[in-house]
Amino acid sequence: MRSFQHINVFTLEEAVSVLKDSGGKAQVIAGGTDIIGVLKEQILPDYPEILLNIKAIPDLDYIKKDHEGLRIGPLAKLAGLAKSPAVREKYGALAQAARSVGSPQIRNMATIGGNLCQETRCWYYRYPHSIGGRLLCLRKGSGSCLAVNGDNRYHALFDARRCFAACPSDVAVALLLLGAEINILGIGGKRTVYLQDFFHPLGNALEPGEIIGGIHIPTPPVGAKQQFLKFTLRKPIDFAVVSAAALIVLDGGICTEARIALGAVAPGPRRFPEAENFLKGKRLETNVLEKAAGIALEGAKPLSKNGYKIEIAKTLISRALSACLENESFNH
Amino acid sequence: MNKENRFIGKKVPRKDAADLVRGKAQFIDDLKIPGMLHAKILRSPHAHARIKKIDTTRAKELPGVEAVLTYEDTPVWRAGLPSHIGVLSNTVRYVGDAAALVAAVSDVVAREALELIEVEYEILPAVYDVLEALEEDAPQLYEQFPGNRFPLACPWMGPESLQGIFMGDVAKGFAESDIIAEGSCSYENLPNPLPLEPPGVIACWEGPEDLTVWASAQSPYFLKITLHYAMGRINVRSIASHCGGSFGTKVLLWQLAFYAAALAQATRQPVKMYYTKTEHFAAYTLRLGSRFRGKVGIKKDGRVMAVEGDWLINTGYCSDAAQGMVAVGCGELQLMVRCLNWEIKPQLVCTNRNASKMVRGYGGQELEAAFIPVLNMALEKGNIDPLDFFRENFVKPGDGYYWRDGNWWVSRGIDYGKAMDRGAEVFGWKEKWKGWLRPTAVDGSLRIGVGIGVHGNADVGEDVSEAYVRLEPDSTVVIHSCLSEHGTGQRSSLCKMVAEVLKLPIERISVAPPDSLVNPYEFGPVGSRGTYAIGSAVIRAAEDARRRLLERSATVLNVSADDLDTEDGMIFIKGKGGGKSGKKIRWKDGLGFDRTCLGHGYFEPDFSISNFLMVFVEVGVDTKTGKIDLRRVVAATDVGKIIDSQSLKNQLHGCLGSAGLDSAIFEESVFDPKLGRFLNPNMLDYKWRTFMELPQFDTVILETPMDTHSFQSVGVGEIVNAPTPPAVLMAVSNAIGVRLADYPLTPDKILRALGKA
Amino acid sequence: MSEHPVTLVVNNRRYDLEVGGRPGDLQPTHTLSYTLRETLGLTGTKIGCDKGECGACTVLLEGEPVLSCLILTVECHGKKITTIEGLEDPQTGKLDPIQQSFIDSGAFQCGFCTPGMIMSVKALFAGNPSPTGQEIREALSGHYCRCMSHYHVLEAVAGSVPKAGGTDE
Repeated sequence: MRSFQHINVFTLEEAVSVLKDSGGKAQVIAGGTDIIGVLKEQILPDYPEILLNIKAIPDLDYIKKDHEGLRIGPLAKLAGLAKSPAVREKYGALAQAARSVGSPQIRNMATIGGNLCQETRCWYYRYPHSIGGRLLCLRKGSGSCLAVNGDNRYHALFDARRCFAACPSDVAVALLLLGAEINILGIGGKRTVYLQDFFHPLGNALEPGEIIGGIHIPTPPVGAKQQFLKFTLRKPIDFAVVSAAALIVLDGGICTEARIALGAVAPGPRRFPEAENFLKGKRLETNVLEKAAGIALEGAKPLSKNGYKIEIAKTLISRALSACLENESFNH
Repeated sequence: MNKENRFIGKKVPRKDAADLVRGKAQFIDDLKIPGMLHAKILRSPHAHARIKKIDTTRAKELPGVEAVLTYEDTPVWRAGLPSHIGVLSNTVRYVGDAAALVAAVSDVVAREALELIEVEYEILPAVYDVLEALEEDAPQLYEQFPGNRFPLACPWMGPESLQGIFMGDVAKGFAESDIIAEGSCSYENLPNPLPLEPPGVIACWEGPEDLTVWASAQSPYFLKITLHYAMGRINVRSIASHCGGSFGTKVLLWQLAFYAAALAQATRQPVKMYYTKTEHFAAYTLRLGSRFRGKVGIKKDGRVMAVEGDWLINTGYCSDAAQGMVAVGCGELQLMVRCLNWEIKPQLVCTNRNASKMVRGYGGQELEAAFIPVLNMALEKGNIDPLDFFRENFVKPGDGYYWRDGNWWVSRGIDYGKAMDRGAEVFGWKEKWKGWLRPTAVDGSLRIGVGIGVHGNADVGEDVSEAYVRLEPDSTVVIHSCLSEHGTGQRSSLCKMVAEVLKLPIERISVAPPDSLVNPYEFGPVGSRGTYAIGSAVIRAAEDARRRLLERSATVLNVSADDLDTEDGMIFIKGKGGGKSGKKIRWKDGLGFDRTCLGHGYFEPDFSISNFLMVFVEVGVDTKTGKIDLRRVVAATDVGKIIDSQSLKNQLHGCLGSAGLDSAIFEESVFDPKLGRFLNPNMLDYKWRTFMELPQFDTVILETPMDTHSFQSVGVGEIVNAPTPPAVLMAVSNAIGVRLADYPLTPDKILRALGKA
Repeated sequence: MSEHPVTLVVNNRRYDLEVGGRPGDLQPTHTLSYTLRETLGLTGTKIGCDKGECGACTVLLEGEPVLSCLILTVECHGKKITTIEGLEDPQTGKLDPIQQSFIDSGAFQCGFCTPGMIMSVKALFAGNPSPTGQEIREALSGHYCRCMSHYHVLEAVAGSVPKAGGTDE
């Protein structure tokens, strides 16, 4: 790797202060599973002068239940989330999503904050500098999206306009499903954004000098059943081709609440209100689930090579909903 | 050799086993040569361009940089077939082609220097598609190869090397056919063999004409010879490290050696050229691109009457192996399909992408993966069970074929029908085969299908091997065979053979380091030739050493050498060895005090024996996602005699790796023709099979003695991949009831075939 | 910058590494795999992809399997690290039962992936002395082996499970 200065910080406030003083030349490193690869391959034209290690900050890896729900520190590791009884008990989709990421070693290193802030997996964006030079594109601030007229088999079906990179985070899909909020710390103090507002078409809501301070998930509705599913070519290792999460509440066999979220189909994880509304008030027979999946995907705008993701997304939605009906392990 | 063997076929730990599990085995990246510099390559951003100007001034000024080389100051060494690639050129021919070389005190400094080199390119038009490359107005890669066609001659295989399959009367054959199928198929997803260890070479000049290379080489002696001729007949000493996987890709290491040696010459220091995994992906070795268009005529009973077609082969920007692969591929097709009327016309084409070379196999997989789907159309029309077809059509003893040297060879092998039947039985083929395009079972959205593939190769006895076996006075033995360990356990298998010949505990036998200075000529463990060819040379060397030992002992004991035998390091008169009464002497008593004894063995090429593998695969296809689940694989073979069961089974399992079976499921190098770049040069986007996707895997290994050497055995490692891609295609087609011929069968293609995308 | 020396405990031996720019010094850019191999000479840890995608460089950090190519050494101050060299008995040289089982089962071909796999198995057994076949496969799911020695590896792991009635070969 090209050289950088390495700074350990011991409080989040200190981290914010260093970020501010660096004038955009510092980058945060947490688990390192994404950024080290990004730096080694030199995929970005800018290279940080400072790597700011926040792992030295004590007690930021908490997973805490409280009366409002669950609080998760930005340094909570994915392996910990997948194993945590508190997460598995009421936030099963999050445990499943965390467990679906990478390999055991990756999950021992990667943090939830890092998972939300990771760079996209778009293979044009990630093209390695060592083989003829990095590729520039709209997301890097120069040129247009190369996927539009290229091989876009993994790219976005929804909400993309100028950059068609899809959000790679599985954890984000579960967090969206569960209505999570992200607490952000910055120079001006703290602010909170809902997860659906965290991801932007070309990145995320963090302004320069800001950092994720924590994540809060409200207690799911009583009786909610939830399921996260991920479609990949291999079971471990892979990023999602499509991921889906569903949550339903039934009352006497009638659906009173339904949430559907998809990952890897848009610049951020995405909810589908029309499909959710369609389910409410209905008995969830197979044909109803399939209909809802169809409604969800109605607005999809496939590119030349990613149309197949529509069928997969529909299948995952139906299967995630079915699993909610069948799977008792995440009931409470 | 009917006597019970002590070592052959017995479970004996590999000689290097403890080193491997302790992390002590020395791979190329573990070697440190004093004063060693690190090399890096500036790689072209353009698929085809001429270097107008290149300025290395700033790079040379960077502290720690010892040399920066461009085409203007590299030595005139040339390789390729026919020779067409120098160290560097003023023309770059693929994205990633080398434009400049740097040697520096560290990897980091070398990389930094690359950023300081300024190159002005004149961009030239590029061509990637094999048919487009053949068009009249196509961009031309090389002046000397008009039409982007490489000549097919492969001089090292002989003056008449096989350049297609031409025999009989094709028109007559088709006229006599009941069923004729015509079509085309491409196997052009260019899977990457990708051994875990990237390739590496360290070069050090001992004198102006004396070069030493350490390399992650599969065939160290072959590397010596290659470099000797390519670099102006210099003297080369080639030493192999432990090789972290090769699958054929670390035989032709001349290019890395060129880079390292040129920098070592410029700096007068040892230089290490070790690729990153990214370079390994994007600037090293892929399978050949293969496209077949033609027709097949058969009788109702499955006899093949005529085969005709064009075989287009895309070898990327360079060829050094492709001509040989065309020759062997054409030979291998004849082993699989008995037919008297042939007209297969290959064309070998260069395009502006990274080079194709040999990959676990030597042309047959590429040809058959594209040919078999066309053949299958004929079998489908005739409703012929492919097992019956292959059983009837695979080469039988007494059948003939044109092999790579252009000569007609008659098979001295065995009938593999028994192995096919046993494989079918273990797999349950009869119960599972429901006919063409018919699933074996359907369960909701899951559809099960089965397929079959077969392959054989008569290269088990290719090329020359030499070996020495040295008997030491302390009753230990050193084998001199220039063989590196690249995963097959062959060095240990040779110890077993020698232990058997000399009736000596295997602990007393070792193999000299794979160093061309201390070992005789060895072509290398390629083409499954390790067991028969290399084995024969070593066995003969051991027998020769044994004969000399007994002759010398005979004078000491005052008997005829014919009356003597040796076991466990003792020499005695035959028939009296077991008893206490017989007179015994130690080796050193027979050899003379502190004397050694050297036996010499050799092997000359023999293409009259083939090996064989049939695979049966069962897949499940989820018709709602298009995902293929490989459920079961049965690999059936007959090896004559098992030398080492663990190594053999490991090799058969290998069909799931190294650009094999999964090139039909998810392995592909994704290419963007607008950019001329591969998009997935990393181990996430390039898909490989993990521990979570292992099918049930059964092996059927028969032991019908072969007329090879005293252990009557043949190797099988090279051929395990070739039968698998078309077998998967067949299985998936049967599962979903739609004929598919588009490798790899990723979910998008399955869903499209089902009308869902 | 003022980095203090970084202390690592590797295979129960303590190393104090000066951070700086002199040859041999630890630099902030050094990954743990680099330090182990190039500075400490522990070349048993192999680097396959150098980007966390192949598992070859797996070592134990405080007992947990991690990818040493994605970890900065400066961030390991005070940490306990175990590499393949640390598995055998330092006095007698006796191999760890997992290592011995890999030998007995012939659980390798080229062997480049072997040390990393053994480290993952070591961590698995430490946390779960009687894993199921599924748990074993999951523990190994991040390891790439192109030779396809997987079946023999599974046999080797099953054969060295610390608390098991029998293996499921």
